[in-house]
Amino acid sequence: MAEPAYTVASDSETTGEEKSSSTFPEIAIGVDIGTSQCSVAVWNGSQVELLKNTRNQKMMKSYVTFKDDIPSGGISSLLSHDHEMLSGSTIFNMKRLIGRVDTDPVVHASKNLPFLVQTLDIGVRPFIAALVNNVWRSTTPEEVLAIFLVELRAMAEAQLKRPIRNVVLTIPVSFSRFQLTRIERACAMAGLRVLRLMPEPTAIALLYGQQQQQTSHENMGSGSEKIALIFNMGAGYADVAVTATAGGVSQIKALAGNTIGGEDLLQNMMRYLLPESESLFESHGVKEIESMALLRVATQDAIRKLSSETSVQVDVDLGNGLKICKVVGRNEFEQVNRKVFEKCESLIIQCLQDAKVEVEDVNDVIIVGGCSFIPKVKNIVSSIFKGKQLYEGMNPLEAAVRGAAVEGAVASGISDPFGNLDLLTIQATPLAIGIQADGKSFVPVIPRNTTIPARKDLVFTTIHDNQREALIIVYEGEGDKVEENHLLGYFKIMGIPAAPKGVPEINVCMDIDAGNVLRVLAGVVMPGSRQPANRVMEVRMPTVDDGHGWCAEALHRAYGSTLDMVTVQKKA
Amino acid sequence: MSKKKLCTPLSTFMRTSLTSPSDRFTKISSSQIKFSTFASPSPPPLALYNPTFHKLGQYFLGDLGFCGKSICSKAAEKLELRCWNCHSVPESLPFLFCESCRSIQPVDKSVNYFDIFGSEKKYDIEDKNLEGKYKEWQKKLHPDLVHSKSKMERDFAAEQSSRVIDAYRTLKKPLLRAIYLLKLEGVEVDEEQTVSDPELLAEIMEIREAVEEADGSEALKRILSQMQDKLKHLSDSFDNAFQSRSFEEAKTTIQRMTYYERVIEEVVKKL
Repeated sequence: MAEPAYTVASDSETTGEEKSSSTFPEIAIGVDIGTSQCSVAVWNGSQVELLKNTRNQKMMKSYVTFKDDIPSGGISSLLSHDHEMLSGSTIFNMKRLIGRVDTDPVVHASKNLPFLVQTLDIGVRPFIAALVNNVWRSTTPEEVLAIFLVELRAMAEAQLKRPIRNVVLTIPVSFSRFQLTRIERACAMAGLRVLRLMPEPTAIALLYGQQQQQTSHENMGSGSEKIALIFNMGAGYADVAVTATAGGVSQIKALAGNTIGGEDLLQNMMRYLLPESESLFESHGVKEIESMALLRVATQDAIRKLSSETSVQVDVDLGNGLKICKVVGRNEFEQVNRKVFEKCESLIIQCLQDAKVEVEDVNDVIIVGGCSFIPKVKNIVSSIFKGKQLYEGMNPLEAAVRGAAVEGAVASGISDPFGNLDLLTIQATPLAIGIQADGKSFVPVIPRNTTIPARKDLVFTTIHDNQREALIIVYEGEGDKVEENHLLGYFKIMGIPAAPKGVPEINVCMDIDAGNVLRVLAGVVMPGSRQPANRVMEVRMPTVDDGHGWCAEALHRAYGSTLDMVTVQKKA
Repeated sequence: MSKKKLCTPLSTFMRTSLTSPSDRFTKISSSQIKFSTFASPSPPPLALYNPTFHKLGQYFLGDLGFCGKSICSKAAEKLELRCWNCHSVPESLPFLFCESCRSIQPVDKSVNYFDIFGSEKKYDIEDKNLEGKYKEWQKKLHPDLVHSKSKMERDFAAEQSSRVIDAYRTLKKPLLRAIYLLKLEGVEVDEEQTVSDPELLAEIMEIREAVEEADGSEALKRILSQMQDKLKHLSDSFDNAFQSRSFEEAKTTIQRMTYYERVIEEVVKKL
């Protein structure tokens, strides 16, 4: 997997030190790569410590600038001003772009960023490029992320004075398994081994579990069960989790996530301030990029100010005779972003319902992430919980990375004499996994919010007489129709004995192990037989690579419904 | 088409990675083969009996083939129990985890879900501490905590941990618990089997219509509380029937409970 082109120099040292690491387990570092900001933390033996870069920053901007031949990222780079970052040569928002095809609305929304995002709208990966010496130089989100991770790794190695290999990364709840493979690939390119990919709110749940454990130790109590709702909204994603914790064990009861975040608030606001902005900037000329950058920075500042003030004066000269001079009120900002805020609300309500937890049962409400400073976000949460006091004692920007660092120590087998690592998070699947059947319907085999490890079976059957083959097309998501979900892979069951339709029983079994690896098994059993008619197939998913958007269409074109299946039992 | 035929487990044909740590474990495995002849009619019908790769589904209540196991003298077997690693005798039962060397033991199918939760084998269980007990076990058995241990023990962790998850789910839900109890007694319940009581069917039809037509959450909530009352009543009759060992009656009660349970699900979905 590892791409030597991106390994850092210290990789050779790592191999030399591998032997000693067996006796002294290497503590994995926790990394939170946000859409806009990133941080690194590690368990230092008694507590979590955030690492700082050479400029003494704990929060570093997530971007990579391509200049001449040497790219440099937000960890080491000394960009003096935001405008420089928005000159066309810098790629950011990788986390929003990674593992998405060019028909994805999120990719389309990225087209007015000050670098090139080009789409052909056919379901392949988008073309992404940075302006280097006046030429659009192509790259990929994985590559950008890998370059960034190399810098991050070098920074951590310099500070901890040891080679770093193992990482725990936080990821958005709504990431598909395909996107997870892209993250893993970027890590491999950077010479890092992913010990765990943790949905962001579950990292926060772990930290909460640790805090509860410490409090109950102090009070000498047995520590009764506590239920917390965690709402985490950053620049790119909003996530919710309901966790029940007791004695250091946190059970994730439900997860919900969506691609809404500060970036949407920003873009909606930019469109509000300059309605024709998208068409104006479409050409991506040098002048346009400059104007776009100016507007972006001015809008960002305005939004930030609106968290503490009720109105703000936006005064910016975008060049080309374009000037914006406007007073924007907080209520305008809230009105412009009404849909985003409504989505936040429905995510929280859905998560509570999925967890089968009533508002009154929630002991603590935790809101974190960059957007947690926005008064409207606080209001939404507080009105759902009927004015309940929000949980204090968590730094909204550091909670996820701290949780990841704790998980890094726990997963590395480190123990703490005071029992501070005596913790466990029992994860649940954020998205349902199922197959195409009953026409173009998505039939979940493992429903969302199933505790991991999980194994489920469903029985399907043929739709034609003497149908000898069947296609198993695996999807992940929440939509009723397959098109609304992420394709994970497909394979064909062959050698079905000749029989009238509806007779052969096609068993589809899905297994997610504790390491979150998904395996799909399928076999045919004829009634009356106890042996499968043919060898059972076992496929580790996802198998799809690039261009997965049109795979399903191509399959449909080639086979129509000749290899289709229907469910044997209607789900209760 | 009888669903009883659908029980051939896929996992039986799957790769297994476990090596038997002791004769005792092998013995369980071989006895398990015999159990797999039991049919499991509960949906989804694909039963996974293979003890070396044992992760059960949420809706699948099985692994109950071992009801035949009650013939074996449990006590006699427990006497020989020793940790596969340090050979010490278990401090407490059920023996899923060795307290002296902290290693996870292989799955023993003769330990039932009630044993795992230290509860009496009865319907009306004090369920307030299930979650606590469940977490206590997970803290000892969860695969996340045994990264540095051998492949074999990691497999034990995976199996034990998912069995505890299944046990927890089963005992937590009254309907699942009821079905499980009957299975332990060797009585299979086919939830899908239609009830021929015309009165019940007419009633369910009527309720379904009411749910369809219900406008606003008030009406739905009213139906919901009615259903919950009915369920509570049935739940009590199940308990009585089970205690007096009238298993056929208990079985019919379960089938009735299933109908109401589904209506409740529909209502909750609409709410």
